[in-house]
Amino acid sequence: MPILEVKELEAGYGPIRALEGVSIEVAEGEAVAIIGANGAGKTTLLMAISGVVPARRGAISFEGRPIVGLPTHAIAKLGIGHAPEGRRIFPRLSVRENLQLGGFTQTDRATVARDIEEACALFPVLGTRMSQMGGTLSGGEQQMLALARALIGRPKLLLLDEPSLGLAPLIVQKIFEVIASLAKRGIAVVLVEQNARAALKLADRGYVLETGRITLSGPGKELAGDRRVREAYLGEG
Amino acid sequence: MATNQAPRTSSPPAPSAGLWGFLAQRWELVTLAVLAIAPLVIPALGGALGGQVTNLFIYCILALALNVMVGYTGLVHLGIASFFGIGAYCLAILTVPMYPFQIGFLAAAVIAVLVTAGTGLALGAPTLRLRGDYLAIVTLGFGEVVKVTLRNLEQITGGMKGLNPVPPPGAGVTLSGIDLGKEFAIDPRWFYYLALLALAAVVVGMRRLENSRLGRALVAVREDELAAQAMGISATKVKLAAFAMSSAVAGLAGCLYAASLSTTADPNAYDFNRSIMVLCAVILGGLGSIPGTLLGVAILVGFDTVLAPWADSWIQQMNINPKGLSYLSFSGWRLAIFGVALVLVMRYRPEGLIPSRRLAAELHEGGTGS
Repeated sequence: MPILEVKELEAGYGPIRALEGVSIEVAEGEAVAIIGANGAGKTTLLMAISGVVPARRGAISFEGRPIVGLPTHAIAKLGIGHAPEGRRIFPRLSVRENLQLGGFTQTDRATVARDIEEACALFPVLGTRMSQMGGTLSGGEQQMLALARALIGRPKLLLLDEPSLGLAPLIVQKIFEVIASLAKRGIAVVLVEQNARAALKLADRGYVLETGRITLSGPGKELAGDRRVREAYLGEG
Repeated sequence: MATNQAPRTSSPPAPSAGLWGFLAQRWELVTLAVLAIAPLVIPALGGALGGQVTNLFIYCILALALNVMVGYTGLVHLGIASFFGIGAYCLAILTVPMYPFQIGFLAAAVIAVLVTAGTGLALGAPTLRLRGDYLAIVTLGFGEVVKVTLRNLEQITGGMKGLNPVPPPGAGVTLSGIDLGKEFAIDPRWFYYLALLALAAVVVGMRRLENSRLGRALVAVREDELAAQAMGISATKVKLAAFAMSSAVAGLAGCLYAASLSTTADPNAYDFNRSIMVLCAVILGGLGSIPGTLLGVAILVGFDTVLAPWADSWIQQMNINPKGLSYLSFSGWRLAIFGVALVLVMRYRPEGLIPSRRLAAELHEGGTGS
C-alpha cells in the first residue's frame, strides 16, 4: 500500500483551477520528484496535500487514511512534514528555537534535544549558529534550517517545495545529498523542483505536471531520458 | 561561505565582570530587592506616594497582560482596559455589601480571573480569523461595549457611581493579633507589597512562558502562521490561549485595582484612553520584552500619575502661576510632552527602549530576506 495516494485531485484559488484531476502515488521510503514549469500547479499540489489549500474534488489518503478536510496542523501531526516554498523559517527566533518548533508535536523534550543534535550532525553549520536569529542566516543556511526543522518533526513523508531555489550550486549539491539520504532512513519524499535534472537523478520516480495535469510519469532515469522532458525541462533538443 | 561567523552573530552578551554586569544580568532580582526595601526606608511610601506606586505595579501587570497578545502573538488589541474593568467589577460583585456573596478577596480574585479568561475566550473564538486592523477594530468596539454596558446596567454595576465599598483583602481576618483588613485600610504599604508580590509572580510566569513550548508557538504564529501550522501548531488553539492568558492577567490587575481603591470607580476608568495608554507603554518599552514593558509603564504611567501631579503642585508652591493659566501648568503640557516623546522614540528606537531579543535583530538589520 502506498503511504500517500492522491486521486483525481482538483484544487484552486477562487475562479482559478490550479489542479485539474491529479493522481500520484508515493510508496514508503520512496523519493518522488514532481517537475514542471512555473504555474503548473506544483506548489498547489503540496499545499493541498498538507491542507493549506482545500481540495475541491478528489481524494488524498495518507497511510490508507483519508486526510482531505483535516486542518493543516492535524495533517502535520499525522507525520507529513512540509518545507514550504521560500523556506519560511521564523526569522526572529533563534536557530535553536526554530528547530525546537520543528519538534512541536513531539512531547518528549529529550527526544527533541537528541533530534536537534542529529540535525546539527547533518548540517554542521547550524550547530555553530544555534543562538543566532534565523533571519540573519544566509539563504543556503536558511534552507538547511528549513530542512532540519522539518526533519525534527520525524515525518514519515516529507514535502519539499523548491529546496534549491536561489542557492549556490555547492549548497544545492549538499541539500540534494541530504534528501537522497532520507530514503535510507525510511522517509518518503515528494520533491517539487524546477531543477529537473538534479531532481530526476535523485528520485526513484517522477511526475511531469503541466497546467494542472500529470502528463508523464515513470522512473526518474527513464523520465530524464525522455525526449519531451529533455526538450522542455532539461534545456536540450 | 558558511564558516565566516564573526560579523553576523547576535549571541547574548557575554557575562561581563563587575558590579555593572551583575546588575544588568540580574535586573529582576535587583529591582525586586530595591522595591521590597523601599517602603522601609522611604517614609513617603506610607502616604499618597505609596498608593501611586502601587498603581504603577498594577499597570505593569496590565501591560504584561497586553504584551502576551501584542508582543508575543502579534495580535493588535485595543480593548485591554475592558478586561481590566471586568476583573474589577467581578471582584466587586463578589465582595461588596450590596451583594449577598461577600466572599474573601483571594477566592473572589480567583473567580474574577476565571471569568475574565472566559470572556477573553468568548471574544477570541469568533474573531480568530481576523488579523491586524480588523482585530484592532473588534477589540476597540468590545472595549466600548463593555464600558457602556457597565454604565447602563445600573442595577448590577451601580452605573456611574460604580460599586463600593470593596472591602480590603483580609477583611475580618485576624492573623496573630493583627486585623489584616484594618491594616490594609490604614497603611498603603500593605497594598504596595500585595501588588509587588502579584507583579513578581506575573513576571516569573511571563518569563517561563517565553521559554516554553507554548511561548515559542505564540511567536511562531506571529512570525509565519502557515509555517507554524506546518510544524503541527494549531494556530486557533494558540491564539485562543493568548486571548485567555492575556485576559486573565488583565483581570488580575483589575482585582488589585478595585481592591486598592476600595471601589470600582466609574466605568470611564476602563475606557479607550486607558487601553491606548497601556499599549503605548508596551510599544515604547519594547514589544515582546518584559523589562521593556515594565520600563514603558514606569515612564508613561509614572509620568502621568506621579510626576505630573508633583510638578503641578511644585509650580503652585513656587507661585509661578498665580492666575492658574493652563499653559503655565505642567498638566496643560502633559499630552504634548507625551506625544513628542513617543514620536522621538519611534523615530530613533522603533523597537522600543529595551527591545526584545527577538525583535531587535529584525529592525536593525534592515529586514530579512523572507
